[in-house]
Amino acid sequence: MTVVDEENDFEAIVIGGGLAGLSAAYRVAQAGRSVLVVERGSTCGAKTFTGGRLYTYSLRELLGEQWRQAPLQREVDREIISLLTEREAMNIDTTFAEPAGRSFTVLSTPLVEWLAQRCEEVGVEIVPGATVTGLVIRDGLVCGVRTGDEELTSALVIDAEGINPLVFERAGLVRRLAREDVAVGAKYLFKLSEEEIDRRFTTSDRHGTAMLGMGAITRGLFGGMFLYTNIDTISLGLVVDSASWRKHGHSLVETAEDLRQHPAIARYVEGAELVEYGAHLVYEGSVDTVPQLFGDGWLIAGDAAGFCINRGFTIRGMDYAIASGIAAGETAAAALAAGDVSAIRLSAYKDALAGSVLADMAEVRNAHGWMSHTPDLFTTYPGLAVDLMRDMFTVDGGPLVPVRSTLAAAGKKVPKKLSTALNLVKGVRSL
Amino acid sequence: MRRMKIDELLSATSFDVGEGSPHIVIDPQACRTCPSERACELSCPAQRYKWDEVKDVMAFDYVGCLECGNCRLVCDRLFTGAEGYSWNYPENGSGVTYRFG
Repeated sequence: MTVVDEENDFEAIVIGGGLAGLSAAYRVAQAGRSVLVVERGSTCGAKTFTGGRLYTYSLRELLGEQWRQAPLQREVDREIISLLTEREAMNIDTTFAEPAGRSFTVLSTPLVEWLAQRCEEVGVEIVPGATVTGLVIRDGLVCGVRTGDEELTSALVIDAEGINPLVFERAGLVRRLAREDVAVGAKYLFKLSEEEIDRRFTTSDRHGTAMLGMGAITRGLFGGMFLYTNIDTISLGLVVDSASWRKHGHSLVETAEDLRQHPAIARYVEGAELVEYGAHLVYEGSVDTVPQLFGDGWLIAGDAAGFCINRGFTIRGMDYAIASGIAAGETAAAALAAGDVSAIRLSAYKDALAGSVLADMAEVRNAHGWMSHTPDLFTTYPGLAVDLMRDMFTVDGGPLVPVRSTLAAAGKKVPKKLSTALNLVKGVRSL
Repeated sequence: MRRMKIDELLSATSFDVGEGSPHIVIDPQACRTCPSERACELSCPAQRYKWDEVKDVMAFDYVGCLECGNCRLVCDRLFTGAEGYSWNYPENGSGVTYRFG
């Protein structure tokens, strides 16, 4: 049993004031425990970055009805999946009648700033502008952090450093993130009036559109594009595997610019002012590559723990950041109450996640591997879909072609190998 | 629509340059024998790495870095922390400062 030392500066210290770290700190403070958040940005929110869509269930769990005051953007009721070739696209466009507040587009800086304020209301202390450079470890027990020359001690540390967990990697507590486990994403934020966005997307009443696309835009590599409508801005981004990009011959920035110029995309963002451009890594590993999640005196949450799922049609990270933050905070508070911060005690964290994010990640453990080894997904199939549509919709005065012939012609272009068919079956199972 | 260059893209984003030393360090000459196919040059979303054909060195500018961490992973020398190569977060709140995120 690892007994809590009474001499510490705080009962808990959280590294990183993003969604995961703040959610954890909020729960610790709610339990009446002293907690400090150390944030490397000049404010909480300055370093956070997202594609821009939040599934709200975990925010509700964290804050109760107060979640409704959160600075979210538009409630998504229109979902578009787009298959893109060089110059054309085929979209599956769905509008849902009762989105029920399940998902909103977001800009993460104002959201994180707001959550930091809620944290301070419940007694969380936040030190911004301080980069944690190391840990205080005594007898194998993590009991504080170093920032520059300063040492801050605590009974336990919650790591929510984000996708690049330098501090915990260097302490040798978690496995190193590998390039095979991430994709790199770049995002443009374009400003338009709310009315103009409503006009371009045929929406109203702060209802929003989420569009995910794949195809020629990533030049045959694993990845895709996203577009989300915010109140008066549009998030447009490109995400591609970091590992495959290494041997590729195309610049990521040029490829993003090609996406912006794509006729099926340009019509939405044309004439809009660029108000921000940023980048972030996206965890693409599986449940089998997530790091050790707890140890003597520590827990790890959010992106730092690799909690992210990309199924092509849904991408989830922020909801897991909040959910894992809640679980880490609750586990930490219970451990502090029991006066025991040993790994055995803190293993309750993994149990708490077993029914949520870890179960979800286990369910789709083969999805990324399948998608990244099935280049047809990004080349052949989008092309087939667009060709089929073109054949169906082209009327040029020539002889009428029955649909059965159009379909048969398209069918002839599908790769006929048995391996292709088996691979598709495997893929559907993995998703 | 007109294509935009990286400087134009980055001018939309706020940076606090600070007074500190570069948070990412590379050895421009040693990059001549790059074992990583100069992946940094193509995959950096801020295009901070550019091979200088005249001087035969890797030109790198840490100002404008978006701190995504991609180069830390795709470059074998940054990844292993080879001599002359290191990757850290900027200190004291400097670096990229998102207004929207």
